[in-house]
Amino acid sequence: MKFPLFLHVLSAMALVGTLVLAATSVAADNHRLGYRALLWGAIPSWIVMRVAAQWVFSEQGWDDVDPEPAWIGIGFATSESTFLLIIAATVCAWRAVKRGRGDGLRTAVLVLLALVLVAYLVAIWAMTTKPT
Amino acid sequence: MDDWLLFLHVLAAFLLVITVVMYSAVALGGTLGGRATFIADRCWDVGGLGTLILGVWLALKLDEYGIFDGWIIGALVLWLVATGLGETVRKRTAEVRDGDGTVTTGAVTTLHWVRTLTVLALLVLMIWKPGA
Repeated sequence: MKFPLFLHVLSAMALVGTLVLAATSVAADNHRLGYRALLWGAIPSWIVMRVAAQWVFSEQGWDDVDPEPAWIGIGFATSESTFLLIIAATVCAWRAVKRGRGDGLRTAVLVLLALVLVAYLVAIWAMTTKPT
Repeated sequence: MDDWLLFLHVLAAFLLVITVVMYSAVALGGTLGGRATFIADRCWDVGGLGTLILGVWLALKLDEYGIFDGWIIGALVLWLVATGLGETVRKRTAEVRDGDGTVTTGAVTTLHWVRTLTVLALLVLMIWKPGA
């Protein structure tokens, strides 16, 4: 069944797209668009991506495989750790909107999003090359 | 080698979706600055070339696929349609952009959503590979 994989890839792409949108908006001091991109784009996309990943995992029988392949471990580790960073970036962007200016919050959002995007680059590499 | 080609091919597809997401923000009433628009357009250029060149390379290199497979020909046709639409959206957006960078023409928005559906159809072909 390919639908869970389709959903996983589509939501992962939407997630990366909304993160780049948020980063470019915050960099341009458009904190409101950055905040909305994170709240209404990145967080829902992350949830769909993660649920679909679990669906693919169960569907393809990976839960019976021991030890788990490295690429699956990399996928889970990057997705779960980055969720906290996305939440933190969303809170910082929201604070920046409330204050009406970025200052340190702008830098914090950009650093957090850069970390998340680098982690996703590694995850995409792991998902496609499937290192053992 | 094949794994790296696939990684770069998928990465290029992510770049296409970054552009789609960023232009979707404009279509939904958001405002992209000049730098963000530049990034979105470059992602479309690099992603478009990357998916085409690496995709054809993979189709020629891998034994299980052929360049004349129906789903690959379908993908090439969709790629051409998406490229044409993307170029039109870019030009028209620049033409109708007012002072704050908001697209004001419904036709451009419609073209953008058609482009989005075309990219979605490409992803469907890549995941299901009908006839492969």
